[in-house]
Amino acid sequence: MSLKNVLENWSDYRKTHEQGGHHEYEHMWTLAIDLNKCTGCNACSVACYAENNLATVGKEKLHKGQGMHWLRMERYWDEPQMGGDDAEYHERGASFLPMMCQHCNAATCEPVCPVAATYHTPDGLNAQVYNRCIGSRYCSNNCPYRLRYFNFYSYYDTSWPEPLNQQLNPDISVRDKGVMEKCTFCVQRIRTGKDQAASEGRELRDGDVVTACAQSCPTQAIVFGDMLDEESEAAKLWAKQQVELGPYEQKKDKEGSELRGYRVLEALNTDPCVMYLDRVREA
Amino acid sequence: MFVSNNFLSEGCVKCVGKTAKRFVSMVFAALLGFGGLMFVGAAQAEVPNVVPPEGSYSGEDVPQPIEFPHDIHADVNEINCMYCHTYARRSKVSGIPPTSKCMGCHTVIATDKPRIKKLTEYWENKESPEWNKVHDLPDFVHFTHEKHIQRFVFKNEGMDVENVSEVCAFCHGDVKSMTVAKKMKPLTMGFCVRCHEANDGPSDCWKCHK
Repeated sequence: MSLKNVLENWSDYRKTHEQGGHHEYEHMWTLAIDLNKCTGCNACSVACYAENNLATVGKEKLHKGQGMHWLRMERYWDEPQMGGDDAEYHERGASFLPMMCQHCNAATCEPVCPVAATYHTPDGLNAQVYNRCIGSRYCSNNCPYRLRYFNFYSYYDTSWPEPLNQQLNPDISVRDKGVMEKCTFCVQRIRTGKDQAASEGRELRDGDVVTACAQSCPTQAIVFGDMLDEESEAAKLWAKQQVELGPYEQKKDKEGSELRGYRVLEALNTDPCVMYLDRVREA
Repeated sequence: MFVSNNFLSEGCVKCVGKTAKRFVSMVFAALLGFGGLMFVGAAQAEVPNVVPPEGSYSGEDVPQPIEFPHDIHADVNEINCMYCHTYARRSKVSGIPPTSKCMGCHTVIATDKPRIKKLTEYWENKESPEWNKVHDLPDFVHFTHEKHIQRFVFKNEGMDVENVSEVCAFCHGDVKSMTVAKKMKPLTMGFCVRCHEANDGPSDCWKCHK
């Protein structure tokens, strides 16, 4: 598209995107997270640490913003002194939002990678190939959600001293210094589920693949599934909330709507694959 | 002049004799070569619907606790690879057989040989020999034996399971002719990708990289 064309058709261009370069997806893995059910217990985050060989960096580095939590629990307080409108914020407590890679179909991190280490798979996943990554950190700078984590140090010896290295998951590599990493929607579980289904000679069913966060959630606030499989629980939740992939605003934003489904920062037109259900409080 | 003529004619006779010999040897070589070609053709025909991967590598000898003779087992006695490496068809790894599997035969067969005596010693001490890994892929690679064996053997029309060693040889070399196994193929990304391209294997990065 020429520059002239872009300038003349800017509004159209801004609202459409290439769908990650794929015209036909095999799967479209999505999460649906009900914030009404989320208690902020951090079990998902701990499960993610265990499943994906995440390094524990220690208090000091965490304060510097070098934590490697692929799934972080964000806390929001509606303090009046901070501009919120909730006078009883102290009694109500914080509202929580588990934040992991949104696997955007028009991901901002993908086009800026100089070595194509991050790309979109036919499964609708935003992939990161660790041994291809050269650590330019462009992707992290371009991610509006700040969900990419960089290995500033080699954590192998400090994070898993003997005999803790025995707990490492062999299905995913241990990332070394100078490599960007992020949530993969537990791609090793997806891979295992697919292999299992193929060896049994059947199609992948809903429930074959469950991410570590969804599996560990005590209130089942996190639901993982394939959007293209209409019978899957996640797809039903998306349909129920009338949230669709593609548009940059949802029906929830329309006046008089009682729907709760939304995607974080979808006005940026990144087309994320994670739907959140808004937390409803008594007035 | 006469002498030189004589010399020339003599030389010619010698020459003719040489060329004749050379001709015979050439025919012989051609016949051999043709036979060889036929043999190669027959060997390839054993694995239908496959373009075998190309590439060679000469690995170092890997010392093993017992010098296991693959040639006696797989070649002389024609034991199927999957008799011992039983997980190859249903798992990521092909598996090293437990000592009990060795002892299944070797309580009666060749019990007087020094290697078998060593094996029996392991068995009686309830220990297993600590085999060293020969084909070690990097940690960032996901490889399943199951997918490859299923594609090339069990789901391959016209393929005889008896000839599974031909499929194993794609990546492991001609183990039939070795005693202790040795790395004979490069097992690099290029080696994998060229074969994937030739046989319509998946080309997505995340299929193999983890």
